[in-house]
Amino acid sequence: MTQPRGFRTASRRYLMVFWPLMALYLVTLFAGVYFVDEEASPLYLRAGLAVAVALPLFGVLWAMLRHVKETDEYTRMRQLQALAEGGAITTGAIFLIGFLEIFNVISDVPLFLFGPLFFFAFGLAHCRRGFGKTV
Amino acid sequence: MKNIIRTLRTERGWSQQDLADKLDVSRQSVNAIETGKYDPSLPLAFSLARLFGRSIEDLFDDETNVASAAE
Repeated sequence: MTQPRGFRTASRRYLMVFWPLMALYLVTLFAGVYFVDEEASPLYLRAGLAVAVALPLFGVLWAMLRHVKETDEYTRMRQLQALAEGGAITTGAIFLIGFLEIFNVISDVPLFLFGPLFFFAFGLAHCRRGFGKTV
Repeated sequence: MKNIIRTLRTERGWSQQDLADKLDVSRQSVNAIETGKYDPSLPLAFSLARLFGRSIEDLFDDETNVASAAE
């Protein structure tokens, strides 16, 4: 069961998972782009590649949630606030773009873009709160 | 909530990072507590009290007793 472990241990455990998974993500992505023809390759191969590329990102999300549970209380509060802001901004964008599509103002926007939007909004919320200066 | 943590820390010559390392929290946590932007939980308040050899009431005060406790 996940429980608070303190800032240093939680950060170390997060980074120990984050970097290998990001490396795996990039390797899988570039290998897939290089070896799999998105037009000619069989369906099972394309589907497998899509799942294989997404799996490391699932892992990163899991590591983020584990870090929130394990880190110190103030960091947890800040992260939860940033996650909430990122989620709210992303959900708002989904609604707005969805209605713009329904009323034929814009054409189809790739669903894929909302993932990076969430992480961008999450990061922005973190930066907006700023960090305290050292005294 | 007002507190005397910055005073006690600087008396010992510790940086915010030093105190954060002793408590196993982030430096931002120490800064937020010292500036009164964040009130720690009871377990963290007890850790602070033990570290400085004071009672929680000595460290934290709603408004009035902080100055006298620092002396």
